[in-house]
Amino acid sequence: MMTSRQHLTTNPSSIKTRFAYLFLRNLKRLNKYRPTSSSSRAVYQRYGMIKFAADASMASAVGSRRAWSRATLLKIRNRALNCTFLKRRRIHALRRRRAERKSRNPRQECAFGQANELRRLVPGGEVMDICNLLDETAHYIKCLNTQVQVMRNIVDFYSS
Amino acid sequence: MGTEDNGDMGFQHRGSSSGMNPISVSGKILGRAMSSGAIIKSTNGADPFFGSGWDSLSMSQSENFGGSSMVPLTDVANPPFPLLLTNQAIDSSSHLVHYPSDLGLVDMVPKLPSFGSGNFSEMVSSFGLPESGQITNSGCPINYLRNREGGTANTSTNNADCQENCQVSEEGSSPNGRRKRRASNSPSPMNTNKNAEREQHKESSKDSSECLKEQEEKKQKIEQNISANLRGKQTSKQAKDNSNSGEAPKENYIHVRAKRGQATNSHSLAERVRRERISERMRLLQELVPGCNKITGKAVMLDEIINYVQSLQQQVEFLSMKLATVNPELNDDIERILTKDILHSRGSNAAIFGFGPGLSSSYPFPQGIPQGTSLSIPFTTPPLNPMAQVASRCHYPAPSLSSFED
Repeated sequence: MMTSRQHLTTNPSSIKTRFAYLFLRNLKRLNKYRPTSSSSRAVYQRYGMIKFAADASMASAVGSRRAWSRATLLKIRNRALNCTFLKRRRIHALRRRRAERKSRNPRQECAFGQANELRRLVPGGEVMDICNLLDETAHYIKCLNTQVQVMRNIVDFYSS
Repeated sequence: MGTEDNGDMGFQHRGSSSGMNPISVSGKILGRAMSSGAIIKSTNGADPFFGSGWDSLSMSQSENFGGSSMVPLTDVANPPFPLLLTNQAIDSSSHLVHYPSDLGLVDMVPKLPSFGSGNFSEMVSSFGLPESGQITNSGCPINYLRNREGGTANTSTNNADCQENCQVSEEGSSPNGRRKRRASNSPSPMNTNKNAEREQHKESSKDSSECLKEQEEKKQKIEQNISANLRGKQTSKQAKDNSNSGEAPKENYIHVRAKRGQATNSHSLAERVRRERISERMRLLQELVPGCNKITGKAVMLDEIINYVQSLQQQVEFLSMKLATVNPELNDDIERILTKDILHSRGSNAAIFGFGPGLSSSYPFPQGIPQGTSLSIPFTTPPLNPMAQVASRCHYPAPSLSSFED
């Protein structure tokens, strides 16, 4: 029980500082390259890039200590590799392997029918059993909270 | 030293499995820099695949200090590894590797707008590096995921490559899996064998902290629990009366798993332990999700958790949309001011906008909508369909949130 508490109390303040630092640097560079964006489509693109930067910064701030951050970083990597010559083969291989893993995954029902939806929400949750999934969800919630706090502070700073 | 040998072996196996020489080289370098067992154990078992992948990338990254344009994607990999290093409290090497990776990480994102094309994925993929190392490394995590989930003898052959990497957790589980398959095993020799194995691995990382050991034990127990569940269902014919360990405490959990016992007994034992774990995690989650103190019941609790995670993700989207419209002006000086403000003056900012400090942590989102005069200005100017979608999605948590404020 104490070990699980140690898992959860993974020093969110340092994660917050790391995330803030990374996210701000990303934002700065994003803004540097796209200063004038008034069209709606440009704003939407910027929104997508900022969201991507937020998730990437958060995953990097956490590092590979957590399965969900590893899954996010892997997804980022695969996104970049998607348009290489191995794209189709890798995607299909990944999907096949995921299907196999899903079939082999010992998903107990027993009042955890909604767990599948939770798997979809938490990155990397498709291959976890309930126990690890709950663990990852707890850490993911904490990191999401810090992310929201930092982003809100940034927005407040700019709008005040 | 034994640790180095293990580490070198482990890294070489990794190198051979992935076909990358730089990995083994960098692995040797890193193996001497720290205890290899600590690396393997640090990240929840079977992470050395990622470790190896990040190894080569971090080594290359530490050479290119500034982060050239050809290394952007690898930079994503770098911070995880130095964070592993800092976990193990290895001072010099970790700090050395930490900073270039931090600098390098962000280089990925700034390249995105420079291309200016419409498709975002194209931007991301435009500097997708088809390095063989990357491809094979990204293949390794798939094996890792497979191993994590398997733990059964079915995947033991697949584990053969990765077993040295997944030393503690996987070797703990797969030999046990094989032993499970055998006809008769008394509890004590099995436990002594496993303990001997475990102690070998533990001696290889004696300098690792206690919490790491506990983590690894916990992961072992989780793995063994999974395999125990599977075994309990599969090996019902190997009935043996070891049910005396049914009431064993958690420290003797390994005994519980080892004693295959009668079918119902082992099954019920594993089920009971599993249920205890799940209820413990649910309790922890209950503390995290606001307003769930009165809820008793896994189904309702899970619903609340799902709602909360969804609302948090929507808040992130909402705030990123706000950021997209609001601020094009970020200078270097402002960034320093910002970091201080953001990290320290949250209370003051919250007070400005009417948030109580107690409320700032729990569903402050719906209060942001009516009070956001600054919101309306940037939102009215660009008539965006995605904005409407985001706004409509943002209203979703409001009705459910009102129940939380009882």
